[in-house]
Amino acid sequence: MRGFRIALAQGMLLPETRVALAAAGLATDALADGGRRLVVPATDVEYILGRPADVPTHVAHGAADVGIVGKDVLLESDADVLELVDLGYGRCRFVVAAPAGSVDRSLDEYRHLGSLEVATKYPRVAERHFARRGIQVEIIKLSGSVELAPQVGLADWIVDLVSTGRTLAENHLAIVEEIAVCTARLIANRVSYARERERIAALASTLEAWAAAR
Amino acid sequence: MTGGLPRGFRDILPTEARELHAIERTLMGAFAQYGYVPLEPPAVELAEGAVTVDERRMLRFLDRDGRLLALRPDMTTAVARVVAQRYRDANAALRLAYFTPIFREEASMRGSEREYDQAGVELIGDATLRADAEVIALLADALARCGLLAADIDVGHVGFVDGFIAELPAEARQAAGAAAHAGDLVSAIGAARAAGLSADRIAALERGFRYRSTDLADARAGAPAASLRALDTLDTLGPLLEAAGVGGAIRFDLGLIPALPYYTGVVFQVTVPDLGSAIAAGGRYDGLLARFGADRPATGFGIAIPHLHQALVAAGWQAPADSPLLLLAPDGGDGAMTLQVAAALRAAGIAVAIGDVAERAGQDVRRARVVDDAHVEYDGVVRALEAVIAVLTREGRR
Repeated sequence: MRGFRIALAQGMLLPETRVALAAAGLATDALADGGRRLVVPATDVEYILGRPADVPTHVAHGAADVGIVGKDVLLESDADVLELVDLGYGRCRFVVAAPAGSVDRSLDEYRHLGSLEVATKYPRVAERHFARRGIQVEIIKLSGSVELAPQVGLADWIVDLVSTGRTLAENHLAIVEEIAVCTARLIANRVSYARERERIAALASTLEAWAAAR
Repeated sequence: MTGGLPRGFRDILPTEARELHAIERTLMGAFAQYGYVPLEPPAVELAEGAVTVDERRMLRFLDRDGRLLALRPDMTTAVARVVAQRYRDANAALRLAYFTPIFREEASMRGSEREYDQAGVELIGDATLRADAEVIALLADALARCGLLAADIDVGHVGFVDGFIAELPAEARQAAGAAAHAGDLVSAIGAARAAGLSADRIAALERGFRYRSTDLADARAGAPAASLRALDTLDTLGPLLEAAGVGGAIRFDLGLIPALPYYTGVVFQVTVPDLGSAIAAGGRYDGLLARFGADRPATGFGIAIPHLHQALVAAGWQAPADSPLLLLAPDGGDGAMTLQVAAALRAAGIAVAIGDVAERAGQDVRRARVVDDAHVEYDGVVRALEAVIAVLTREGRR
């Protein structure tokens, strides 16, 4: 039987994730050295470092027992995993944004043409949101620099992830509405959660107390 | 000609097919020994008839009459239909078993198959806990007969979490329930808290989500009456499972909340180490058959055969050997004598292929050469057919 595996998202979440795991009593020194290795053995556990979007996939398929990843990634991924704890850090928001001062105009256009074009890196989140609101949209999937799409006439609105909102302001975009607030989550594979319950439940309780105390 | 298959479909080659047939024989044999009779519904159902599977998860197509059809997405729908149409007035319990391919639509690039075998049973018309214990014991027995030894059985009750959700205001119940079934325990707790559930209750619910043990004593504090009734049910079930011989493998798991929303009582799943998906799952679904017009209590389980096969192979399992195949080299004549000798050997129960075979599918082979109509050369010695039959029959029994 392989050891207990934790999948972690490389990037923005990693520094605070290390703090959280250390607070839960796990060895995290091995995660410090530049992060070149992708499978990092430590005392009692093995870390898998991956791109954020791959963390739910690792956990859903059981390649890792648990993982720490942003709710934004979970909302876009649709992977079948258990979400156990809201860790509180890595706070960001999914928002709908439009060129400042043009919201009324685009709503006029919507009434006229019956559909809005929305550019986003997160097509599932965008589609679900507008379906819930009953607004008909055409989703345009981009891989980056979504905030440029209205300027160059690619789309009327965008759906994007913002933390401070500065990028939006610099590109003369205003928030039309907020879709969801996202923070880091402890997730688990359904089978691992059954078989390794004592360990995962203890980890969840410790991390929950740690998050509440901050 | 270019070959190829739609994604999610594959050829099952002879070696694996032999292994799957061995698993099928073992499972259906176990089911039969508990009185479950086989049911074989058609591969296609009316798409609007299915209520257990999200329509986006069905493989659908139009026929020439313009009806929307679906490849069988699960067996529960078919069983419900058969019961409503044919056994509506039956008083005794109906015990049905199946081993059959089912079809699920999967998003591309998930590494998921769109067709796979599922085996299982449905016990219809028996609302007692004895029936719940029977199907759990049957599942454990059937898997053990296949050679799966390291399995854990988790047993839960959907009524535990439902008891908490029932205390919420009506408008919050749907959100909290859906989140719990989807595995988003953070949002389920969040919805309950936002709807004003007391701190005691929240703490008890969180404890429940994490509760897995051989007894339930520590799960009771702070739980509402309906949830306590679910715990009482599990407490009563424990000794029944002991009596049925599966006590040791059982863990009570209050965090076991099936993704499918139609379960109404005891639920269970079977897991093994190092496999990220459950091998089998099931439970009681008393309200479902009423939607088809036959309001009868029911419980049952499904075994995901690819996962069972994977776990067995990982544990070093091999399909039980059939008696060896005799490859019979022909004499030099027109073939009549070879055919005659082969027929005589087969009549005595020996498996015989004339010439050679390109695919042995992992089967043992022996070789013999036809000498005349009563003799073959076997193991370097010319022997009478009776002598060869005796040798091969003895080997086949080993």
